[in-house]
Amino acid sequence: MTSVAQARPTVMQRLLADFGDGRIDTHLVRHGRVPPLDPSQVIGLLRDAGLTGRGGAGFPVWRKLGAVVGTGRPAVVIANGAEGEPASGKDQILMAYQMNLILDGLQLLARAAGARAAHFYAPAAVLSGLPPLLADRRSAGIDTLPVSLHPSPDAFVAGEESAAASAVAGRGAVPTDKLVRIASAGPGGAPTVVQNVETLAHLAMIARYGAGWFRAAGTPDEPGTFLATVTGAVPAPGVVEAGYGVPLGDLIAAAGGPSAVLGAVLIGGYHGGWVPVDPALPVSRAALAPFGASPGAGVVVALPASTCGLGETARIAGYLAGESARQCGPCVNGLPRLAATMTDLAYRRSRPGLPAEVDRLIGLVTGRGACRHPDGTARLIASAMRAFEADVSAHLAGYCLATGATR
Amino acid sequence: MTDALWYFARGSGVVSLVLLTVVVALGIGARSGRTAFGLPRFAVNLLHRNASLLAVVFLAGHLLGLLFDPYAQLRLFDLVVPFVGNYRPFWQGMGTLGFDLLLAIVVTSLLRHRIGVRGWRAVHWVAYLCWPVALMHGLGTGTDRGTWWLWSIATVCASTVVLATGWRLMPSFHRFPQRADRAVAEHLRPTPEAQAWSAR
Repeated sequence: MTSVAQARPTVMQRLLADFGDGRIDTHLVRHGRVPPLDPSQVIGLLRDAGLTGRGGAGFPVWRKLGAVVGTGRPAVVIANGAEGEPASGKDQILMAYQMNLILDGLQLLARAAGARAAHFYAPAAVLSGLPPLLADRRSAGIDTLPVSLHPSPDAFVAGEESAAASAVAGRGAVPTDKLVRIASAGPGGAPTVVQNVETLAHLAMIARYGAGWFRAAGTPDEPGTFLATVTGAVPAPGVVEAGYGVPLGDLIAAAGGPSAVLGAVLIGGYHGGWVPVDPALPVSRAALAPFGASPGAGVVVALPASTCGLGETARIAGYLAGESARQCGPCVNGLPRLAATMTDLAYRRSRPGLPAEVDRLIGLVTGRGACRHPDGTARLIASAMRAFEADVSAHLAGYCLATGATR
Repeated sequence: MTDALWYFARGSGVVSLVLLTVVVALGIGARSGRTAFGLPRFAVNLLHRNASLLAVVFLAGHLLGLLFDPYAQLRLFDLVVPFVGNYRPFWQGMGTLGFDLLLAIVVTSLLRHRIGVRGWRAVHWVAYLCWPVALMHGLGTGTDRGTWWLWSIATVCASTVVLATGWRLMPSFHRFPQRADRAVAEHLRPTPEAQAWSAR
């Protein structure tokens, strides 16, 4: 997952148009400085551009910034590079090749939010290379605010917004409930903004090239490009940049095309959903909604037709159950039960009422945790039950359509 | 039959004292949301509140019984104005004072979301005054004072509150002991390395 797939006509290169050498002077030659903007200009620019968070939830950035600016208090601004999703590699690639764009966006957002310092939350391996670059940027007069570094644990839930805020506050990378809004969840109740590193890189580009330039890619409702991590049954798995609404087939083609006959595609990551193999299917929120999926953080996993989708889902569910922060009952008790029930179904340990039991458990865990970990896991399983409906019936009868296995 | 109110008033007074003892002990236990007496946090709080409301009910019975009792001959203002009674004004006044303090605690607790936590807590501190006042009232004016059973009850109540207060005053009684070890997955906890990074 360290290669960047070749450009194709329909995929679009912006953040990944060139691979910076990581030096600030080359970066300035390529992009120039970020123009000075006051907070209302930044909010207006973000609203006009329609930039949404690239960490998975897709919340409009201007509304988050507007909420903290509205408090009139200095905010805590956090760049989130903790990519807990095992099927995703785009943040890692971006941090390796375009760290200057990310840091530009972080400074811009932190200044607009009236922050006294900016925070960078990412794996220790990424942070260890940062101090020299930060020193260069500071002496070049680009970074006006100091950037403090916070290593993220390698865990699925560590990248969740409130977990990032909690880790930066020194309380551990634990998701918290949203009774206290994240906009006031920082140390000492300070207003807090957490943004994915890709979002910050887009912000740095929008500030230079404008909202109109940004909207030239994507759809009118979902403008801009996003980074997709294409893996699974493809010969060249890697990170691809494309506008929202890009046909699914183009993303897979950019990773070398399918290396086998495909049975389904997982979109949005381990909290995403299974969609049918339709090369023309646009990858956008609107087009994926009927399948209970969304582009999320841009994860695309191609599943060969010869691999059992229920087995793959059961494996992922088991992984997600183990990744619980172990603080809420529905997650601690519900997800292992859900994963075990899916495993029984996947291994054709059939018993009466098995699909009904899956439905019952999905209903029991959804909306009951402090964070959305149980909801996301339940959503993936619900989409598997729909996408592999024929195989559910086959498994109950003791055989598997995908692998051809019988009892 | 005329004695019924008299006996009822005496009995409800004693029950009220026992309940107030339980309330004070549970109140100390509920301090900063901790578990106490082998009960989970929510149960400590719930019991504290319900026992106190029950104590108020018995206290109301105590007061109404005496107000209508032909022997005690209380006037209406004797219920709230302390130390002006006709019979043992000091010891009866202690009871009136205790009632006034309890009234303040109950009213501020019911209005806690309006007056704010600071004001509520300031008034709630008088619970430490209310309880000994009520005990002295029972021992000083009660018809049953000097009986072995009232002395036993008073001794058990007093030692309960003294023990609970002693626990509260121990240096190991920290402010928020439960928050430190919140149950979460081990790998998500802040590590010394992470703290060293953040301190740079």
